[in-house]
Amino acid sequence: MLDSIVVILLSLGVVFFMGTVNGLLRFPDFYTRMHAAGKGDTLSSILILLGLALFTFHHPSVAAYLTGFKIIFIAVLVFIASPTATHALMDAGYEAGIEPWAGESDDNGEECR
Amino acid sequence: MKVVSLVLTLALGALLLLATEDLPNWGDSDSPASLHLSNYYIENSMEQTSVPNLVTSVLADYRSYDTMFETTVIFCAGITVLTILRRSHRKKKKEVKPRPKGQDHDLILISAARMIAPMMQLFALYVVAHGHHSPGGGFQGGVIFGASFILLALAYDLETVLARLKERSVLIMSGIGVAIYVGIGTICLVLGGNFLDYGAWSKVLGVSVVEAHSHGMLGVEIGVAITVMFIMFSLYADLSSGGEMDEGL
Repeated sequence: MLDSIVVILLSLGVVFFMGTVNGLLRFPDFYTRMHAAGKGDTLSSILILLGLALFTFHHPSVAAYLTGFKIIFIAVLVFIASPTATHALMDAGYEAGIEPWAGESDDNGEECR
Repeated sequence: MKVVSLVLTLALGALLLLATEDLPNWGDSDSPASLHLSNYYIENSMEQTSVPNLVTSVLADYRSYDTMFETTVIFCAGITVLTILRRSHRKKKKEVKPRPKGQDHDLILISAARMIAPMMQLFALYVVAHGHHSPGGGFQGGVIFGASFILLALAYDLETVLARLKERSVLIMSGIGVAIYVGIGTICLVLGGNFLDYGAWSKVLGVSVVEAHSHGMLGVEIGVAITVMFIMFSLYADLSSGGEMDEGL
């Protein structure tokens, strides 16, 4: 039972990571790419870390629970830090005057306005 | 001049590459280090220093003299960057475009930084103090502590952090870190031991010689952490503002 939850969490995390990579490579401009990186990266990291934290419950002992607690703590840190870093990068890009994408893209990913 | 320095650098590099010929192979079981030194550390470290983490006991006790100069190198690096960048005659003001009023501090960044910075500093203290038992120690903890100041400088601006952490006190504190290290070693001399032989501290601390080694290591790790932490911030402050300490990024 525990194993299946762990596997589901881990594979969901991998799926979201794939979406992140796809978005990072395929989206047309800086802002949309950062959007994919910020959202997908955070969610998939947290899913994978939660899966790993649950996995420590296999061997019920204080040391194992401590490891699980540390992993949860890392997840909280990622949850705060990753979106903030994305926001800071976006803000810096806006300050530097990067134009947001405003057109449609064809199949080759090239812009045609 | 550039050609001369290029030739000199290449010659030195070639010399060093040639010298590697004489080094023992990677993981060679017949090398002097594997034959005598490593075995001695592995067999005696626990009973001589009561520190389970072998890396810490080798770094901060057996090879403490080496680590003392590593700390000094970091101190020198900070001072060097300061001396190169700080030129009094170059006083032309950079064109700094201020952000529009009300936007100069980003609320999201500041809230996150205020949440994370105390956690980082607490974790840095943990890394320093727990270096005896887990990976970590003075260098790592100092870097984490210094990074927390850099995080604040990034979220607010350099001036806000410098108002709380004066440049003068940063440099003095980084010197104090080295002084703590050397001082702990010198007091060993005064107490009748060798330089950096922490066992001599047992007379003052009222603990066994083995415990004194452990406590001495913690002391020098704290010195290392102080130096690394303040030099880290000093490097960032100098490099981001071109040595002017005015605006920064």
